[in-house]
Amino acid sequence: MALSTRLLTIRKSPVLLKLPPYLSALCILVGVAWLFLLPLNDYSRQTYISENAILPGQVHTYFGGSEHNVFRAYRQEVYHLSHQNEADRNAGLERILKEIGLKTAQQPYHYKVAGEDIEGTNVYGLLQGPRADATEAMVLMAAWTNFDGETNWSGVALALTMARYFKRWSIWSKDILVLIPADSTYGSEAWVSAYHSTATEATSTRNVSALPIKAGALQGAVAIDYAVGPWGRRFDKLDIQYDGINGALPNLDLLNTAVSVASGQLGIGCTLHGMVKHKDSYRDRLETLGHGLATQAAGHATGPHSPFMPYHVDAITLKTVGDGWHDEMSLGRATESMFRSINNLLEHLHQSFFFYILLNANRFVSIGNYLPAAMLVAGSFSITALGLWVESGRAVPSKKEVKPASTDEKKKGADLKVVRQGGDVALVPVYEEKVVERKLSVPALVVLGMHLAGIVPLYLLNNTHKDYLPFALLGTMLLTLLLPFALAKTLISQGLTVKEIQITQCLSLLLLGATLSTLATLNFSLAFVISLVCSGLCFVRSRPRSTNSAVNIAVGTITALLHSTTSPPVVIYGLNWYLAKGEGWYDVKWLLYEMAKGWAAQDVYTSFVIWVIWWPAWAISEFVLLSGFVRSVEQA
Amino acid sequence: MKLQPLFALPATLLPVVFAAADPHAAYTEHLDLHPLPDGHLYAGFNFTATTSHAAYEAQHFRYFPRSLAQILQHTRTAELHLRFAFGRWDDESWGARPRGGRREGGTGAELWAWVDGEEDHPEVLEERWGGLVNSLSGLFCASLNFIDGTRTTRPVLSFEPEGTHKHGNEAQLLHGTLPHEVVCTENLTPFLKLLPCQGKAGISSLLDGHKVFDANWQTMAIDVRPLCNAKGEDCALEIQQTVDMVLDVERSMRPSHDPIPRPLPIEQIECDTSKEYHSDDTCYPQAPSGAPGWSLRKVFGQPINGNCDLESADATPNYPITLHVPADHPVELLSSASLPGKEEKMNLGSTIIHYPLPPHPHTFDISLPPHPQPPEPRNPPLLHATRHLTGHGLDPPILTTTLSNPSLSKNLTLTYLDTLPWFLRPYIHTLRLQRLSRACGDSAELQQLFYTPARDRERGSKIELLLHLPAGCTAQLSYGVEKAVLRYAEYPPDANRGFDVAGGIIKILPDSLLDEQVNNDSKREAASYLRTPPLLLPLPTPDFSMPYNVIILTSTVLALGFGSVFNLVVRRFVLVEEVPAAGLPTRLRDAVRALKLRLSSLGGRSGVEGKAGRVAGGTTVAG
Repeated sequence: MALSTRLLTIRKSPVLLKLPPYLSALCILVGVAWLFLLPLNDYSRQTYISENAILPGQVHTYFGGSEHNVFRAYRQEVYHLSHQNEADRNAGLERILKEIGLKTAQQPYHYKVAGEDIEGTNVYGLLQGPRADATEAMVLMAAWTNFDGETNWSGVALALTMARYFKRWSIWSKDILVLIPADSTYGSEAWVSAYHSTATEATSTRNVSALPIKAGALQGAVAIDYAVGPWGRRFDKLDIQYDGINGALPNLDLLNTAVSVASGQLGIGCTLHGMVKHKDSYRDRLETLGHGLATQAAGHATGPHSPFMPYHVDAITLKTVGDGWHDEMSLGRATESMFRSINNLLEHLHQSFFFYILLNANRFVSIGNYLPAAMLVAGSFSITALGLWVESGRAVPSKKEVKPASTDEKKKGADLKVVRQGGDVALVPVYEEKVVERKLSVPALVVLGMHLAGIVPLYLLNNTHKDYLPFALLGTMLLTLLLPFALAKTLISQGLTVKEIQITQCLSLLLLGATLSTLATLNFSLAFVISLVCSGLCFVRSRPRSTNSAVNIAVGTITALLHSTTSPPVVIYGLNWYLAKGEGWYDVKWLLYEMAKGWAAQDVYTSFVIWVIWWPAWAISEFVLLSGFVRSVEQA
Repeated sequence: MKLQPLFALPATLLPVVFAAADPHAAYTEHLDLHPLPDGHLYAGFNFTATTSHAAYEAQHFRYFPRSLAQILQHTRTAELHLRFAFGRWDDESWGARPRGGRREGGTGAELWAWVDGEEDHPEVLEERWGGLVNSLSGLFCASLNFIDGTRTTRPVLSFEPEGTHKHGNEAQLLHGTLPHEVVCTENLTPFLKLLPCQGKAGISSLLDGHKVFDANWQTMAIDVRPLCNAKGEDCALEIQQTVDMVLDVERSMRPSHDPIPRPLPIEQIECDTSKEYHSDDTCYPQAPSGAPGWSLRKVFGQPINGNCDLESADATPNYPITLHVPADHPVELLSSASLPGKEEKMNLGSTIIHYPLPPHPHTFDISLPPHPQPPEPRNPPLLHATRHLTGHGLDPPILTTTLSNPSLSKNLTLTYLDTLPWFLRPYIHTLRLQRLSRACGDSAELQQLFYTPARDRERGSKIELLLHLPAGCTAQLSYGVEKAVLRYAEYPPDANRGFDVAGGIIKILPDSLLDEQVNNDSKREAASYLRTPPLLLPLPTPDFSMPYNVIILTSTVLALGFGSVFNLVVRRFVLVEEVPAAGLPTRLRDAVRALKLRLSSLGGRSGVEGKAGRVAGGTTVAG
């Protein structure tokens, strides 16, 4: 009783009502600072193998000797095939797989994205474990072209040699699928989606034919990326690529197995995100964390392993980097040892972490330690929204009663009311006790409509022909700038009150906060990045500073433009300038095409988050900002 | 029934009488060796023992295994089929299945039997079936006792009795599978114990656990059936024990002291020297061709240890070993004491050689040198079938079976049996047959459907279909299934990789059955069978350690939170000056309490407690 009355009295406290923006700012600051703490030893952990069945690096590897001669021959063969047309090449690969004794098949696929055709044919073979019971399988992959577009001669040759070597063993408890996708992202995407597809018919945008040969449930996939021709090149380290589509990550045990086999058993150093010179300093750890955050937030494929993650198949790519003294046989032994470890699994990988941020190959931050960062930043929206809700329910004293900048002494002129509670008596201004009825229908409609309107840029930017994508972005930019203004102009002339604008902003921020904190549990990085870019939205209010309409128009335009720098189209332009993939900041074709490819072919939901969650929230914020100026201009 | 074992003793005193009188007591064994393409060797062992029904009833056994017979008698089982199988038959490269797939089981263990019982008394039948599976479980060291009500089905179309059953004696068919059963040496040993020569002589001496269980495909079968003449009299009981396997010749011939398939020295690898890049350090391996050389000793680790001729020696010599080889393939007989084989030329340039076995102290071995020509596969298979469970995550998965008839002229009528565990519920309305090739026409269709729906935790569901598949037709049979959520105690205690779903059983009806003119039982062609590999069903599995963590954590948080909140809510903090002066009764009570405390502290207690008591008293006053 006592506590609740106390809480009720502080509810009306003017200090508390002014608190939300400061609290939001604090949340954002703490959230960002949190991220900078993570690389410290106290907040991260050494990796360890959680699933005892894996026994990484415990087996003796026999890959070597005459297999090296065979490998060289296969590499020559693959090199020859690379000079032939695609059909002959696939037939040649299939022939070699058949000679090895595998059951082989081809899978043509065809995607239509942004008016462009992506097509190719996957070649794969099934090695039935002689003593396996056909219920489980693991995948050995070598994409024909690697993620950087180079032909993966040695990788493919190594996969073929490994298949020939594996064929002689009878220890496999799972079948082995040897997959040679035509390209590093869409090939494996087509293959793995067909493997799990329940539909037999192909659709027009996604023409993926069914697989003639299948095995059981996939338990793991390892891709080899070693783009060196017959001339050979020794490598220094293995770069382990692990990011999946939409920021899904493989089980940490698989990654640890790769690291433990490569560095523990064979003495090959492991890197992440291509950071060959990682000195395990704070700075390097932070950089690795940043790289991880960026790739996870983009949600796009980072290698042939990426499309496996949404299907709950743990997969990684081993990419050779640097110039050192390890040769293809070491990579082969690492692969052999990895497959022996996956083969040991009694159950699907589940023991270790699925949510983690890596700082180097053997240090990670678990979800419990990093999640608060995104939650705090996303929480700032909810705090502001609550503040706005309370504020929207308070009656504003009329200007006669009290001036906005009045001090407490002047308040005495206002109407006072005697409030008695128990033996206590207090004089309270009347407007403090009044509760204004909140009109919710128009704000709710505005928020809903804006989110629905987000489908327009989403559709435009994903279905326009590749060449017109920059224009689609320009169109979106215009829409972004004009829609909030038009909306403010129309609604205010229809008599939209300040309270309703507050409620609109409140609902929008509430939705944003809830969505982003939910998203943080799925894709931490995306939620964190979007929250950071949106963090300004907490501090936007519709209060004109001046009564002079000319000043208002000028200040309004400037603040609106400043506010626009955090709008999705501008951020996309900025990102394009930073990535420098086009002729200049304005040449966004490459970036937009990649985004469209991700959306159409790989089910990457980043576009959806940008246009249906972030863009409407920003547009409503802009609407709130402009409505203050529009109102004062109209009143003047 | 229970008294029957008591009569067994006098019954055993009658062997002399019956040995002469039992015209059916016979034992034969047969080994079929058939080199297959890709360097594989098919070896089919068959052991057949018969006993007359009268001797069986009188519990007199000569070749028929007593341990099994007593189980059959006790559980009133008229016909029994038991299978232990592992691996996959590769019909694309090896051809049709041996024995028409009739002596083959699904991966794991499979059991079906005709048990005497009436439809009206299911509890009697259940009891007998339960007795049968439990006894067989003990006999074969297998988990057959797990074939309970949830795994037992009563197929209608897929199985027919192989033996002749007396009319009026209505035996009921019961069928159960254990797809996750791991077949191992412990099942082979009791299997060999049932044989008269017990794996010590005759072809069974080749059956060594190390080799049998290193095979690419292997199945062990026990089939017991009654055989009567046309009038239904003069009955006999036959037991067939079958072991079929396909060995990888190269792998089987690896020395047992070094079975690791290390890379061969480069000199031993046949390189394709025609490649322009061929050099000392670059070797494109020649595609394997031809047939590898082998001998029984090298493949099975030992030669055949004499014969197992239990009948008198003057009987017609039998030829228990059959070898299929291409006509020009030389075969060397490695044992001096054995007679040369009887050759039989077949068309298509292949030869079948029948060998007799020498008497006991002698051993028998044959050797085939490598041959450049690979052996021909067996007859082409009648049907290809694959079965998959597709879909992922929370989507209801779809069970798809692709059936393809490779023949150009032969139309097939087949039955398809799916037994699903209760936690996999089929949506029968989604069942459809999709014709994938043009050859199917309109005549590829489902003709009959027998469906027994599942009852949660009591009975699995059974889908049995009769379908027609024209020549050259590839069709896809699919239906959606729903995964049930299990109770946490229903998960097996071992590592959970998912639940195994038994493979589908496909029976290809013989032409003669369709032809109405041939309706004579004795001349009827037997149906052939095909089983698809089992499937793995991943069910949402709780992390079993998680609930305990959560319980401990939440209890701690609750305790902490509740304690402080309760304290805040109940206690009122006031200044000492604000405490109203206590009344006379309270003062008196305090005085008494203080007196008590002083007395007890005098009695040897520590002063600290007294202090604590005073503070406690203070709070009472305040509250």
